[in-house]
Amino acid sequence: MARITAQNLIKRYGAFQAVHGINFDIADGEFVAILGPSGCGKSSTMRMIAGLESISDGAILFDGRPVNDLRARDRNVAMSFENYALYAPITVYENIAFPLRSAGMDAASIDRAVRSVAEKMELGQLLSLKPGALSSGQAQRVGLARALVRKPAVFLLDEPISHLDTRQRYRMRRFIKSIHQEFGHTMIYVTHDQEEALALADRVMVMSDGLIQQLAAPDEVYTRPANAFVAGFVGEPPINFLDFTDADDRGLTIEGNRVALTEKLCGLVRQIGPRGIAAIRPHFLRLGGGSPVQLRGQGFITEELQDHNEIFVDVGRTRIALVTPPGQKVHRGEDVTVSVDPDHLLLFPAGNKVREHSDDI
Amino acid sequence: MYALIDVHKRYGLRTVALRKLNLEIRHREFFVLYGPAGAGKSTILNLIAGLTKPTSGDISRDGVSIAHLPPERRGAAMAFENYALYSHLSVAENLAFPLRAAGLDRSEIESRVKRIASVLGIPHVLDRRPGFLSGGQRQRVALGRAIIRPADIYLLDEPIGHLDAKLRHRMRAELKALAVEMNATVVFTTTSSKEALALGDRVGILNSGRLEQVGTPAELYNSPANTFVASFVGDPPMSFLSVTARRSSDGVKLYNGDGQAIASAPFDVLGRTALKAGLRSNAIQLVDAQTSGALKGSVQVVEHLGHSNIAVIAAGGDSIQVSLPADRRLKPGEPVGMIIDPRQIHLFADERALVGEHV
Repeated sequence: MARITAQNLIKRYGAFQAVHGINFDIADGEFVAILGPSGCGKSSTMRMIAGLESISDGAILFDGRPVNDLRARDRNVAMSFENYALYAPITVYENIAFPLRSAGMDAASIDRAVRSVAEKMELGQLLSLKPGALSSGQAQRVGLARALVRKPAVFLLDEPISHLDTRQRYRMRRFIKSIHQEFGHTMIYVTHDQEEALALADRVMVMSDGLIQQLAAPDEVYTRPANAFVAGFVGEPPINFLDFTDADDRGLTIEGNRVALTEKLCGLVRQIGPRGIAAIRPHFLRLGGGSPVQLRGQGFITEELQDHNEIFVDVGRTRIALVTPPGQKVHRGEDVTVSVDPDHLLLFPAGNKVREHSDDI
Repeated sequence: MYALIDVHKRYGLRTVALRKLNLEIRHREFFVLYGPAGAGKSTILNLIAGLTKPTSGDISRDGVSIAHLPPERRGAAMAFENYALYSHLSVAENLAFPLRAAGLDRSEIESRVKRIASVLGIPHVLDRRPGFLSGGQRQRVALGRAIIRPADIYLLDEPIGHLDAKLRHRMRAELKALAVEMNATVVFTTTSSKEALALGDRVGILNSGRLEQVGTPAELYNSPANTFVASFVGDPPMSFLSVTARRSSDGVKLYNGDGQAIASAPFDVLGRTALKAGLRSNAIQLVDAQTSGALKGSVQVVEHLGHSNIAVIAAGGDSIQVSLPADRRLKPGEPVGMIIDPRQIHLFADERALVGEHV
């Protein structure tokens, strides 16, 4: 296990710079998710930690020691994505024991290590089988067991699970989380799926354009996003963005609606200026009046998800989404008032990078 | 109305894709086929479109067999997850292609292309060729090309599966609104519970080539026919507890693997074996471990979802998911109590739902 530090880490591919001098410090045993759209630099960062890519500038340190010049296999890093090719002619037991035998460990220690990891991964019953007899889920667990048995310094996962169906996604998440709780490795998980990142990680590193936009606990990136990019990338359903204008000490205008501001937001408006972006999560909006911050609009569509509804309302030129209790509805074209929870109204400068239509995937 | 009647579909000698499947797609409904990968969703679309033939059984439209008709005479428009666009044509020309083929006049074509491009959020790329588009944009153009022309039925195979979360959420609403506006009959496949519930007038739950249940989202959510449907509909998925029913001084109760009472039986199930109690994550109230009458367990995992948390609680050999407010802090290993509302318990015997009068 190890503490992983990046110092002014840079990755260049020819003239193109993919990672622009980032710094982070991942504690021993911590679970960090690197989250961002494709092309944000998250995979380059992970590959530099693994030793699969050279470091163009700056340094990566394991427990304070630079590893820039260490080859991948000398860094003692386990990676999920290299693990699925099991050796077909030998048993599950021998597959798991393989890295220990090649390291020259004695038979008794190997046996202890294999049985311990197999028990934690619920593979005890399968040890005498050959890979051909395993389901794909079992084969995956054997692959992971083989990676974990040699007690790696850090475990890197690049496991796209967002394409799985809802049930499998939950199962896979629980499985990854349980590996972390059982083994206590430093874990780094690379994903473009915000739900996975929030659900799994102790801290989430949100990246975009080769820079770390925010590195913080899940509830922190959700409730206090560092900028509009983070606000837009984190949260399900996605946050609503609305342009605001004519901001002054008392209030601002959103799509023709004049709204009063709290003391705290007035201070923010003084920094941002008269125009910018207002952001509000669908969970912090409700149908009807009663808030100092109200928006008038026309109903578009109601989705009944049974345990809650998601309602779309057109406010001026902007379509916003609300999460409501079951039973609430709007009809298309109907005039509605939407109340905003003023404590959860976020304001960002205009031009702060927002990708309304991020076309990356 | 399109119907599959006793359709059996095998690929090669071994692989059975569909088993004696009966399905009716009603006129002007938005029908969602929901199931895991490999369940047979795409096979059903291909059979309706005429891209593949049933091994046995019939396919009909308004009561007349169409099984022998070639694809172009089935009235179906199809969008694939794996899109194929004309690389030498612009996006606008790709979208206009089916309309030109149908002989529409120039101004009509232009206005339809504009309308579809705006629904799909791609008006700014109309002049580009497919090679200059992102994967998400290409997928939307392919979808646009399928839905731009009039058809008796639109077959959409995970058409928004490749899009990022924000776009997917937005397109979901747009697609539904457009279908309503066009009075279209749509079959839409997905692996997402949220998409199935949000879009479907009716949803068919497909599992290994069989329809487990067909119903409205409310029917599937409130009255799942079996544990497969129950675990598949709803996000987060339902949790199951293995229970036995026994008489206590206080009426019939359900006991878990530890012998702890989880709740009163919602109806008489004495004598039933292989019982499972299904619970949605919002049907459980978390209380102090010492609370009398509470089911005791310990926290396994806590997941943050931003607006709420999900805790997985181990109790009596079962893992139970509980939804929590985002500010409720729990640590792995912490003992907790759970109060379960008997009216919100779904009971299953041998994986099939038991129906009884709730007391």
